[in-house]
Amino acid sequence: MTVFRFVFLRSFRNTTNLIFLTLFPLVCIFMPQGDPWPVLPYGYQLFGVFLLFVSIRLASYIQVDRMSGVVKRLSIAPLSHASYLSQHLLAYLLIIMLQCVILVYGGVLYGQPLIQPFLLLILYISYSLAALAIALAWITLFRNKELAFFGFMSFVFLVSVLGGIIVPVSMFPEWLARIAVLFPTYWLAEGQLWIVYGNELGDFLFVNVVLWLYALVFMIIGSTRKLR
Amino acid sequence: MQGVVKRYGNAVALDYVDLAIYEGEIVGLLGPNGAGKTTLIQTMTGMVPIERGTIKLFGQSNNPFTHANKEKLGLVTQEITVYDELTAKENLQFFAGVYGLKGSERKERVQEALAFVGLAEYADKVPTKFSGGMKRRLNIACALTHRPKLLIMDEPTVGIDPQSRNHILESVKKLQEQGTTILYTTHYMEEVQEIASRVVIMDQGQMIKGGTVDQLIQSIQHEERIHIDVADTSLLPVEQLQSIAGVMHVDVAGTRVTVISTAGSGNVDRILSLVKEYTGVLGIQTENPDLEDVFLTLTGKQLRDGGGEA
Repeated sequence: MTVFRFVFLRSFRNTTNLIFLTLFPLVCIFMPQGDPWPVLPYGYQLFGVFLLFVSIRLASYIQVDRMSGVVKRLSIAPLSHASYLSQHLLAYLLIIMLQCVILVYGGVLYGQPLIQPFLLLILYISYSLAALAIALAWITLFRNKELAFFGFMSFVFLVSVLGGIIVPVSMFPEWLARIAVLFPTYWLAEGQLWIVYGNELGDFLFVNVVLWLYALVFMIIGSTRKLR
Repeated sequence: MQGVVKRYGNAVALDYVDLAIYEGEIVGLLGPNGAGKTTLIQTMTGMVPIERGTIKLFGQSNNPFTHANKEKLGLVTQEITVYDELTAKENLQFFAGVYGLKGSERKERVQEALAFVGLAEYADKVPTKFSGGMKRRLNIACALTHRPKLLIMDEPTVGIDPQSRNHILESVKKLQEQGTTILYTTHYMEEVQEIASRVVIMDQGQMIKGGTVDQLIQSIQHEERIHIDVADTSLLPVEQLQSIAGVMHVDVAGTRVTVISTAGSGNVDRILSLVKEYTGVLGIQTENPDLEDVFLTLTGKQLRDGGGEA
């Protein structure tokens, strides 16, 4: 688990990263409740956008390894590509899960009306998996870190607006609302709606399964393209 | 490796290459940019698949890139492949860990590698604070913690100061004394002359010739090299010089024309007379061949000619 351990070290060694990874979830906790939308306080809605940024920020370490030639060096070491990738992703997932725990249970302590905090945490974790997988697939498309990051920013803006995180999908014309279901952010917003108003657990499970499917598909795309 | 072929699209990067490296030697692989040196390294380490031929690693030709064999391989990359966020010591700990070293053994090996490359004092500094030469030395140290049996060094001295270069060359010699087999690729002739037990010359994806430095020079002893400093090189009758019987190569650089000709052919007078007809001669010098001449004779070009690496 050497790679896993050093991913942590690298992630928290960078000061900008450290602020990015710890400060934002804390800020989100204290954001007010909207009326009548979003259904949860603003910070919990924006956290969905933030998770996409965190994912690309973390996944970019893999891209840096590819650009700097570290992957080349590692490719002749007794370390498989699958092991390298899985140790990276596991470390990233743990970092993101930690942020989700801080946000959700920090909110509970602060007194935010989160209705079902544990299920909200599950939803964020499912969504994080999808976000990480998308970021992994995204970086394999680019050989330049900056280009990948700025391209992803445009992508995040698009999926946030069209996926119902910034503007409610109910305000969209019907044809646009149909397109919205294609974005993972839509399913995050749906899951949050369920947390507040839903009662059929099957519906919540369905939202999570869709997010896991996103994760699976993009994970396959991102991992089959070797990063050499 | 035997009969190894590797193509990138229509470009042939390795053209039926044969290369054997024996235990305990330093093989200097010489070739200009684009000769196929990097591709050779990539194929012999299993980074890229070959299209034809066989690769035998530590006596194993059927699936040579096993974990056990990989543990015996070390690679010093041409690029500096270390983590900027980690200190020198942490970088070594990382690469040692990847090779399965743990606990006190890892600690010892890390310290040993740092001392070996002269960076023990800088163990807790990050590479961003290092000079180019120090970064190169750290890059080498990262490939040493697991004590590889075969160390492949891909142009390890590119762009560094002479002091660091000397340090690296001394380290390479010490590694050989400790029993490490080394494949050293470079386009610096003098480095190969200094450290290599055997030299292999490569060009356009082919192995041109191999042997010790003396053997290679001996193979062109029948040649002489004539340098003529002239007033105006643009007036030189290059084609006529090339057409003189026995002349093998004409090279013009700055105010100097270098002609390689068959020794004892009496060409010095002919060449000088011809040059004088067209431009003023400022000086003349003949010399015995060296490795540079070997390369020039065999490939028809200077080692540091341009071109992208294959």
